[in-house]
Amino acid sequence: MLSQTAKADAAANRIVPKTVAKLQEAVREAHQQGEPLVIEGGNTLSGMGKAPTRAARTLCTSALRKIHAYSFADLTISVGAGITLRGLRSALAEHGQFIPLDAPCAQRATVGGTLAAGWLGPRRHLYGRPRDYVIGTQIVLADGTLAHAGGMVVKNVTGYDMSKLYIGSFGTLGILTSVNFKTLPAPQSARVFIAKLPENSRLRAINAIAQLNVPPAAALWVYGFRKAIDGEDGPDGRIFILHEGSAALIERASRDVRTALGRAGVPETQIIDTGALGAFDRILDACSATIGQRSITYRFSGNLDDAETRLRATYVATHQSGLAAESLLDLMNGDLYARISGKDAHAFCERIEALDDALHVQIPKAVVVACESPIRQVLNVWGSTPAALDRMRAVKATFDPAGTLNPGRFIGDI
Amino acid sequence: MNLHERLTEALGRDAVKTQPEDLAVYAFDAYSQAAPPNAVVLPSSTQDVAAAVKISNACGEPVVPRGAGTGLCGGAVPAKGGVVISFARMNRLLALDVRNKRAHVQPGLINLELSEQIRSSGLFYAPDPSSQKVSTIGGNCATNAGGPHCLSYGTTVNHILGLEIVDERGEIFTTSLDDIGYDLTGTLVGSEGTLGIICAIDVRLVKLPESVRVWLAAFGDVEAASETVSAIIGAGIVPTALEIMDDVIVGAVEAAYGAGYPTDAGAVLLIEQAGFADDMDERESAIREIAHEHGAISWRAAKTQAECDLLWAGRKGAAGATGRYAPNYYIQDVCVPRSKLPTALHSVTQSARRHGLKVGNVFHAGDGNLHPLLMYDKRDRQQVAAVIGAGNEILQTCVDLGGTISGEHGIGYEKRDTLSLVFSTDDLATMAKMRDVFDPRRVLNPEKIFPAGIGCAEVKPPDAAYVISNR
Repeated sequence: MLSQTAKADAAANRIVPKTVAKLQEAVREAHQQGEPLVIEGGNTLSGMGKAPTRAARTLCTSALRKIHAYSFADLTISVGAGITLRGLRSALAEHGQFIPLDAPCAQRATVGGTLAAGWLGPRRHLYGRPRDYVIGTQIVLADGTLAHAGGMVVKNVTGYDMSKLYIGSFGTLGILTSVNFKTLPAPQSARVFIAKLPENSRLRAINAIAQLNVPPAAALWVYGFRKAIDGEDGPDGRIFILHEGSAALIERASRDVRTALGRAGVPETQIIDTGALGAFDRILDACSATIGQRSITYRFSGNLDDAETRLRATYVATHQSGLAAESLLDLMNGDLYARISGKDAHAFCERIEALDDALHVQIPKAVVVACESPIRQVLNVWGSTPAALDRMRAVKATFDPAGTLNPGRFIGDI
Repeated sequence: MNLHERLTEALGRDAVKTQPEDLAVYAFDAYSQAAPPNAVVLPSSTQDVAAAVKISNACGEPVVPRGAGTGLCGGAVPAKGGVVISFARMNRLLALDVRNKRAHVQPGLINLELSEQIRSSGLFYAPDPSSQKVSTIGGNCATNAGGPHCLSYGTTVNHILGLEIVDERGEIFTTSLDDIGYDLTGTLVGSEGTLGIICAIDVRLVKLPESVRVWLAAFGDVEAASETVSAIIGAGIVPTALEIMDDVIVGAVEAAYGAGYPTDAGAVLLIEQAGFADDMDERESAIREIAHEHGAISWRAAKTQAECDLLWAGRKGAAGATGRYAPNYYIQDVCVPRSKLPTALHSVTQSARRHGLKVGNVFHAGDGNLHPLLMYDKRDRQQVAAVIGAGNEILQTCVDLGGTISGEHGIGYEKRDTLSLVFSTDDLATMAKMRDVFDPRRVLNPEKIFPAGIGCAEVKPPDAAYVISNR
């Protein structure tokens, strides 16, 4: 619990502009005074990577949450970057539409923050990435300048596609203040399948899912997260499958899933129709859920071919270090999320540094996606260095030469 | 040694063209204005490209990358001379990864050839510009090309996973969507060769659909067809493709291909739905009902693959077929919000009429992406002036309707001075920051995209009359 003074300090150091003009003003002022700013949306992914260094004040976009324009007949919408994913979702649902933005904590996560973090969800193999739905952005640059890119049309090659640069830049190049999306008609129905997987059928089941003629919208193998995710967890984990589409297609997909799992030796499959998307939300939430200061969650991205190798490497190394692992393996995209925890914060901190090194030797592209412990500042939170890091640094130096925005937040201390 | 000698020494005699008659060929793309380069190189590898750039640098020459030269906006025209780098010999599929649905290709690989080479894997490369039989994947990346099927599959950028780039100094670097860090891949795609030279590409592949149906609906006029498209999208139905051709285009296509379009209709709407067999009947009746509600005078479903192919061949060859109406055509590429299609088309008709021009419309209606073809004779100065006038009016109309000045062809040389119709000085200056990082000396494809003067303190307002494309 924060003391009254600490609360007052935090409030004084927090700017929540109600308009873009006020936000510009705040940025301009910070820029002129050489005071770096922490940029924040819903504060749901602040455990990703490193915390910004050298910044005393936080600039929060959560008050910019208006829907500027919703041309539902055009399948386009323009929203303030501070709108929550849930807010956006319910506005779209009124017209039977959606945007596949799969990220944790939809009730708090903002559109701007989710895009800035470049979060990628399990349905992207089917619908594409969030960036594929962004048709325009408005951004405030480090000196307070307001700049637009794209527009409100679904096809646009007028000038550079600057929105692509901003998405996934962790607020280090500018502050997204408004985003235009193209939307999709929502699928007619959704159905979730959950089954306990005996170890002797796990690989066969995973392969069978990959062979399905009607690809699921999402399919994950889950181990651990006992109370956080639907379905009974056994010693061998469980499988979670989400199908979306017309009622007719879901019926066909259901027959295929049950046949495939049955053949693989999975005895029982539970079906969720009402609340299928709620069950999917709990999967998304688990990706960034921490256990106080005694856990860390990594994302080990990679191809489907080496998913099993990454999984084994994670468990072997974690077991050797005396810590415990839980995992979510995305069977359609190859992502592996692993939450590693100790019995208390002390035991965790003592062991995680060595494990972090060991994991990165075997899985260089290991990124920390959630960690409340301050120990993350000394870990290799972004994994291997991208080939074009020098160019990225040059981009940062051109967009924000004084290092006003989120300094130290991103890879290579950008 | 001079430029020619140094290039020849580095790449071999066979890979360098210096004779005026050879250079003349590379002065053009599908845009009207032309400028000959000082040399053309045909590299076989990324290292060759890097060497050519270094030599060009040393000799003070800009470089202009070139795919198949099908661009309509002068993107491949060496506006300031220099060295053209043609990717004609870097045209191979280097690796195919079926399990992960991706391929590694050279930029000179022809779009359609990729899908043909990998067909047995059950996968295909989705972006399909109408030029796909000849245009290259590298060129498609540079312009972020669209195409009829982008309605459901998205444009080129949605299918590019990584790039190998030769930079303005001849250094090689790679970008990948799998890497953490800024999305340089997404920003480089569509930058028309002004931020780097694409030398290899990782593309995303898509599973071939289980079932495909193609339908053709005929209407009394193009407005009714476009209202139908707005209604289909408005009803929450996004088919795989929604293409409109008006009577002018249908007449030309029928004479050239005999695609079986009804010549007594004011417009036809070509609809494709790909997906699962289970959904097809329901989808067909829903779309058909909307078409009839909006005055469709006939509805035809293609029954065989050959029939589907013929309906599509007519669409993809439509622009070329208009040669029988006039010696030249100017194709405009604009995009409006989809519900504004009927208004935009009405304005196009009015503009053409006001300027005494014959106009045909063939376009990606589902995306709101219009392609009015203004027909004229470039030997007649009055007609040229009329085309310029009508073209500018169409751009302004679409901007006023909330649209933009290029949906899929790019800005190139042609539209650079009209960029300020859509973007403020601050917006353009922000884009120019990327150019400052990746090409501070402006040696990569100079005189493209940015209005003349950007980089100086002020951005020039658009010229009243910009040069026009003709074929």
